[in-house]
Amino acid sequence: MNRRTLLSGTAAVLAAPFVLSSARAAAPAVNVGVIMPLSGANAQFGINARNGIELVADEINGAGGIAELGGAKINLIVADATSTPTTAGNVAQRLITQQDVTALLGAFVSSLTIAISEVTERRDIPLLTMSFADQITGRGYQNIFQVVAKASVIGKAQFDYTAAIAQAAGTKIEKIAIMYEDTAYGTAQANGLRAGAKAANVEVVMDDAYPLGIADTTPLINKLRGSGAQAVFPVSYLNDSLLIIRTMRQQKLTIPAIGGAAGYVIPDFEKGLGEFAENVLSINTSNYDLAPDLTDRFRRRFGYFMVHEALEHAVCLEVLVQAIRKAKSAKAEDVAAALRGAKFTGGWINGMTGGAVQFDQTGLNVLSVPLMVQWRGKDIVTVWPKDIAKSAPVWRS
Amino acid sequence: MSILQAILDGLLIGGVYAVISIGLTLVYGVMGIVNFAQAEFLAIGMFVAWFAWAFLGLDPVLAAPLSFAVAFGIGWVVQGQLIARVLKAPSVAQIFLTVGLLIVIENGSLLLFGSQFRSVTTFYQTMSLSLGPLFISIPYLIAFGMSLACGVALWWFMRASWFGRAMRATAQNPAAAQLMGIDTDLMYKIAFALGVGLTAFGGAVILPYVTVFPGVGGQFVVLMFTVVVLGGLGSIAGAVVGGLTVGVIQALSSLFFPIQLQNLVLFIVFILVLAVRPQGLIGASR
Amino acid sequence: MKRFLPLALLILAAALLPLLLDPRGYWIRVLTFTLLFAAMAQAWNIVGGLANQTSLGHAAFFGIGAYTSTVLLLKFGISPWLGMLAGGALGGVAALVIAIPTMRLQGHYFALATLAFGEVMRVIANVWTSLTGGPGGLSVPFVPPSFAAYSFKLLRPHAYIALAALIVVTVIFEMIRRGAMGYRLRAIRENAPAAEVIGIDTTRVKLQAAVISGVLVAMLGTLYAQIAVFFDPDTVFGIASISIRIALIAIIGGVGTAAGPILGAFFIIPLEESMNALLSSRAAGLSQLVFGIILIAVILWRPRGFITVIDAFRARLSRAVKP
Repeated sequence: MNRRTLLSGTAAVLAAPFVLSSARAAAPAVNVGVIMPLSGANAQFGINARNGIELVADEINGAGGIAELGGAKINLIVADATSTPTTAGNVAQRLITQQDVTALLGAFVSSLTIAISEVTERRDIPLLTMSFADQITGRGYQNIFQVVAKASVIGKAQFDYTAAIAQAAGTKIEKIAIMYEDTAYGTAQANGLRAGAKAANVEVVMDDAYPLGIADTTPLINKLRGSGAQAVFPVSYLNDSLLIIRTMRQQKLTIPAIGGAAGYVIPDFEKGLGEFAENVLSINTSNYDLAPDLTDRFRRRFGYFMVHEALEHAVCLEVLVQAIRKAKSAKAEDVAAALRGAKFTGGWINGMTGGAVQFDQTGLNVLSVPLMVQWRGKDIVTVWPKDIAKSAPVWRS
Repeated sequence: MSILQAILDGLLIGGVYAVISIGLTLVYGVMGIVNFAQAEFLAIGMFVAWFAWAFLGLDPVLAAPLSFAVAFGIGWVVQGQLIARVLKAPSVAQIFLTVGLLIVIENGSLLLFGSQFRSVTTFYQTMSLSLGPLFISIPYLIAFGMSLACGVALWWFMRASWFGRAMRATAQNPAAAQLMGIDTDLMYKIAFALGVGLTAFGGAVILPYVTVFPGVGGQFVVLMFTVVVLGGLGSIAGAVVGGLTVGVIQALSSLFFPIQLQNLVLFIVFILVLAVRPQGLIGASR
Repeated sequence: MKRFLPLALLILAAALLPLLLDPRGYWIRVLTFTLLFAAMAQAWNIVGGLANQTSLGHAAFFGIGAYTSTVLLLKFGISPWLGMLAGGALGGVAALVIAIPTMRLQGHYFALATLAFGEVMRVIANVWTSLTGGPGGLSVPFVPPSFAAYSFKLLRPHAYIALAALIVVTVIFEMIRRGAMGYRLRAIRENAPAAEVIGIDTTRVKLQAAVISGVLVAMLGTLYAQIAVFFDPDTVFGIASISIRIALIAIIGGVGTAAGPILGAFFIIPLEESMNALLSSRAAGLSQLVFGIILIAVILWRPRGFITVIDAFRARLSRAVKP
């Protein structure tokens, strides 16, 4: 490669974004930025989320776009957040400055979402997310909108629901074990679990964090075996969830395991464990069986059940579009004002608990309630709370 | 008693660490190159074994030679086209070339295979042996056995075969080796291809208990380097000793310290060992 | 005097650049981080270039700096400028702590021992939640904009501070390189036993270089904290995101030269951003793949760094000028 080619190539590369964006400005589209981890360890979840958003965008565009804006189509601008918060922030800034986005959706991983929110808050662009670290809605920011419950609430529900399910089956839980991978997600949920146990006067006989990417869970299960716990609450991604369940089987440990979402609620969990996935419980922030007529569309198009991050991001887009309709404007500040403290129903929002989304002053959806799901065959079925359960829980003690 | 179980578990998993790291030390020993992309060949081996399982119904342990062969081929090409060109360059350039290779392989896998997590189910996955009060996990035992077989085969190859001796000669003194009629370029190709092939073999062997996805290599990079450097860069025996040591340290530390700190303990021990023995446990003194 | 003209022009252009960019925009943000990473790579260059010790654990110092100033701000309301000094001091101590056990290590062993040290710091930050906020990370609290509080509404002042930092670190680098310490480091690099024989205290010199480098990188950690406003252990102690990156930047540009890290930063960071902008929407992983390919191509083309291109150009110029 000679110097000239390198220079002209670099110039083309640097100029391209400007050329591309001006070409797109021809149609009166509404630009919505989608920032997800599309590479790195969380690529799977980022891609799922993007798929959910694409499904809804295509439906809305197929039905004629946004009528209140003269049939304007939604133009998704997808970008890779990578695994580095710094880059996620850069990408957010780029989308805001160069693509004139009305809003941003993203980014699954809480640390990426927080980094992006630092940019969106300062530029008055609304950010809709399903990341659930408590900090996200805990900073008094005006432009962040979270459609699911907070981590501490999810963790507490993981315990409370389990105690209730066990009680309904005639067992009183007195000793539990908590194990969690040590990123923000696991740590936050473990805090919630601990609070739940404390409030119920239940003894936590084992409480251990482990490094993400742990290769051998035998020490954890050895400890679990010796702890006398009646139930174990593992909060894990996929590799560790499989390791934990398999090692429990190896050591003939049959106490119930109640997972903390993430690795426990994706199709790969059942594919990895086969029959051993049956009846494993997990907390979840939403589930596809609450609105099968909607979520089946995802399964038909993408070939796997609509995982919660896909559903929740679909809801984010639906809420955003409804806010745009309400404001009759695609300007970020108008849409943000329409989102703040407002309630939304209909369309994909039927997939959320309560069939509606209501943001409070901190940007949190107060109607979102965690739910307990259980593996039945290749599907996860909502089993608690009773009023939304699709099937009674099976509790093997 | 739990100490005994911990040591046992540590040795079993240590054997596996050894087999996936032997290739790395071989590449360094013969070529002087620290291959940051080595763990990506682990992922390649895992992918090959997974596809063999999914489409041919082969148990991963049986598919391991296939993983070896595929990685050997890819390594051959990579060495010839890329590594060979930087053999005379500063070592930092060599290192960062392999970093670039790491990025290419990881994202190439993402593009080719997609992001989903793939794992295998084997009949022995959840089996264990009971030796009195001790548990022995069958997948780990099989992995350990394969590692042993692999280590012995490699040792024999390096000692007894002409190629092995030629490679050792090239490692010791490339100029003299050339004068003796050894084609050092060929030796480098074989060493690299063999090294990455061995790591891929190890990947297939650990597939029963590790899920494969494009980023899985990244989870093992630091571990592999710790094993190899602890044992002594370039020494095959060092990789074995290093692997077993790392496994046992991790397992024992989980007994006395929170499990979350197992890598912390490992790294501190690592730094202290090097402070006392700068050439690693088995490495040759300078 | 004529020798300094191109350099003076360069600094003038660099000082004007932030004024030309949209202060609420994207490129000012990229410029700020580019300048920051160039400064970090330059500080690394003292150890990696002059002392020829490839450290892969400099994130340890960076993270210490970021956390020190932010924790002091959060817990005691101390200004980040003072926090930066405190962070620098701690970074220097950390450099001493790791330099002593790794003193006798050669090349690759040194690299991996430092990498292990960086990881040690990351795990400590992750586990010591009461001090560092644990894996959830820390947010720099919002304060009304003022220079004293190191808080600004827009990015332009941050860009100028980063530029100033880069100039300061580069000056320090050059002073070392041209001074007695540089001479001693060169002697150690060429032939350490011989250097000992002629009376150079190799241990002391290497420690000095390590501490200076550690102090500088830690202080730059505070800059990062104030610009990004949020970080967690993986971000500031990360192997890939910090340690390997700054070493890569210095090497691509030309390790051991003052211009190297600057060239490297201005190549790598805009390239990453451009790849992301162009390709990340098309297919997952494509932007990184192309980045990796370009990286390999550049290293194959110029294994000793971009500086060799400039040197060759300068050599051709001077040949053309000479009668």
